[in-house]
Amino acid sequence: MITVSSLTKSRADVRVLEDVSLAGPEGTVTAVVGPSGSGKSTLLRCLNGLETFDSGGISIAGHSLAAGPHPPTRLERLRRDVGMVFQQFNLFAHLSAIDNIALAPRVVLGLSAAEARDRGLDLLDRVGLRSFAAARPATLSGGQQQRVAIARALAMRPRVMLFDEPTSALDPAMAAEVMDVIVELAGAGQTMVVVTHDHAFARRAASRVVELAAGRIARQGPVAEIL
Amino acid sequence: MRFLRNAGSLAGRVTGLFSGLCTGIVAGGLLAVPVGPARAAELDDVVARGELVWAADQEGGGPHVFPDPTDARRMTGFEVELATLLAEELGVKPRFQQGQWDRLPLLLGRTADCVINGIELTPERHRDYFCSRPYFGYSLQLLTRRESPIDDFEKLASPGPAGRWRVGVLTGSAAESVMRSRPDLEVDVIGYDGTIDSLEQVSGGVLDAAVMDDCIFTFYADRFSRLKTVGRPFAGGFYTVLTGRDTPRLSAAIDMALGRLIADGRLKSLYDRWDLAGRQQMLMLRDATEIPPARRRSVWELGRDTLPLLLRAAGMTVLLSCLSFPLAVCIGLAVAVGRMYGPPLIRPLLTGYVEVLRGTPLMLQLYAIFFLLPKIGLALPALVAAVVGLALNYSAYEAEIYRAGLKAVPPGQFEASLALGLSKWQALRHVLVPQAVRIVMPPVTSDFIALFKDTSVCSAITVIELTKRYSVLALSTGRIVELAIVTALLYLAMSWPLAMLSRWFEGQLERPAVGGGTREG
Repeated sequence: MITVSSLTKSRADVRVLEDVSLAGPEGTVTAVVGPSGSGKSTLLRCLNGLETFDSGGISIAGHSLAAGPHPPTRLERLRRDVGMVFQQFNLFAHLSAIDNIALAPRVVLGLSAAEARDRGLDLLDRVGLRSFAAARPATLSGGQQQRVAIARALAMRPRVMLFDEPTSALDPAMAAEVMDVIVELAGAGQTMVVVTHDHAFARRAASRVVELAAGRIARQGPVAEIL
Repeated sequence: MRFLRNAGSLAGRVTGLFSGLCTGIVAGGLLAVPVGPARAAELDDVVARGELVWAADQEGGGPHVFPDPTDARRMTGFEVELATLLAEELGVKPRFQQGQWDRLPLLLGRTADCVINGIELTPERHRDYFCSRPYFGYSLQLLTRRESPIDDFEKLASPGPAGRWRVGVLTGSAAESVMRSRPDLEVDVIGYDGTIDSLEQVSGGVLDAAVMDDCIFTFYADRFSRLKTVGRPFAGGFYTVLTGRDTPRLSAAIDMALGRLIADGRLKSLYDRWDLAGRQQMLMLRDATEIPPARRRSVWELGRDTLPLLLRAAGMTVLLSCLSFPLAVCIGLAVAVGRMYGPPLIRPLLTGYVEVLRGTPLMLQLYAIFFLLPKIGLALPALVAAVVGLALNYSAYEAEIYRAGLKAVPPGQFEASLALGLSKWQALRHVLVPQAVRIVMPPVTSDFIALFKDTSVCSAITVIELTKRYSVLALSTGRIVELAIVTALLYLAMSWPLAMLSRWFEGQLERPAVGGGTREG
């Protein structure tokens, strides 16, 4: 499902990623761990083309990315199959929870407003927030916002989900709510890559672990062996 | 006259506020500061000062007063020479004071001792100022293009092929009042601030005809070879030197000096030199008292006669604002998006668009659209030109506001949109622009109020909105203060709801529903 081969990226003469290769089979959860600045988030953002890279290649959900700038239409097709959840949630501030979720299915997939809404309400159910459908993001707690953000990404029915430190901006109680949702997704067989520095969470959710250090892969393997 | 002087100053301040332009405010501020002598300069002051300050508008053009073609810093014209002769008679030197033609009388007692600039002797002027004996006889002449179907003044009594005839006149001139006093004619009378403007517009096909003092057209006939006179001059009157009612001795001295110039033939030889022979003989037996002064209207009559006109002009102000601002917002938004997200090639062009429109005065842009575009075959009606001019000018400001608004949307919003598979344009349409629009609501509303007041600049291209209507009515009725108060109230009645709206939007913004707010806590 995910293959990264010899990925290299520099930013202003600094090597951010160096010869990174990994594989994420269908239905598995890969945790990416490592200290701050080790290139975890950059690697994740390369996977859906939010960042470009200098050499190597990526194959994800049936799409492939090469070094250098990516053509916009190729990225749009890829991103329909690859969802992403951000550390800071990034919910659309002007839309209610349900509209946040329904926007992309409506605009990108061409669903009718009613279809998109139904899909959104089901997902809100799944993350336990159906009663907050009409709430604006700013009125929700951080944990609630992140769960809406997960529902928003899931609404596109992606084949791969990317999580960029999804619990780092949350206090422990809220982080637990979000972790439960992610663990439940893992149990349902969703292919995922989770960047985190919470080893306990990685052990709970992931089957494989990739540890980065200074842009290189330090270790990788089954979660039981690494952590 | 003391009353009138204060009145003029108040009018200046009020107009300054209305215009909303820095210049207006500065001018108003200057008028509020007593710069001239504490009282109007009487004859002894003029003699002691050694200067007779005479006011005229060089924009009015030849043959009266105009910049010397060989040296633009110098003024020339038959009235320049007349002023010199009059000053000599008083034993002083002449000094020229520039002013806008229809407001020259307001300078009396403040920065000018007298007005010499083709001022027609009318009952209203006779009521409000001291009028000297006539120094010049003018006739009104109808002018049109050579190929025009108007070959006789009576043709104006029935509609033309395109409906009512459009006839240009100088605002505040006798030509204007004569044409406006003829409801029997199928004519829309359009007032211009400069004499030549209406000739340009007839030549360019915007107007069907123009009416002006015949000597003006004679002077410019070479420049407007496509124009012809229609029939004989059809009405006429006299030019007078205006002085203030509170300077009787100066007024009398100027009147007598003029008498001496007429009697000993110096005025005649002056006119001979300017090719204006025949003007002076008509004056020999006349003096100003042949024209009786107009009656001053009661407040009730004033309201009855002016309120409907002021209300209609206020309607024009609203119409201009409400047509041009939405356009400005749409263009501005498109320019802002283009500058930030458009193809790299067009970005510098859009930057240029913004800088040119922000960096040049609105007045100049309106002039260009209304007076210069007809020269390349694009003659826009005044209202359309005004709306287009306001919309373009304000679009530059709106573009900058929206650019700031788009920058204020957290970058995570754009990334989140892209990550969901939205294209750049879909992200703009559904996520960035809706948020930017909410963020910039207060400055945009405040710009609407600014545009609302800037519509007064459109009077430069013959659109009569509230400020212009006030200015015309104040001068023709002499009720400067009363009408200023009514006009100010009308502006307030219109801008107050806008200010409320602006405050409401700000209240909406402070509510947590809108804004960046994706952070914890």
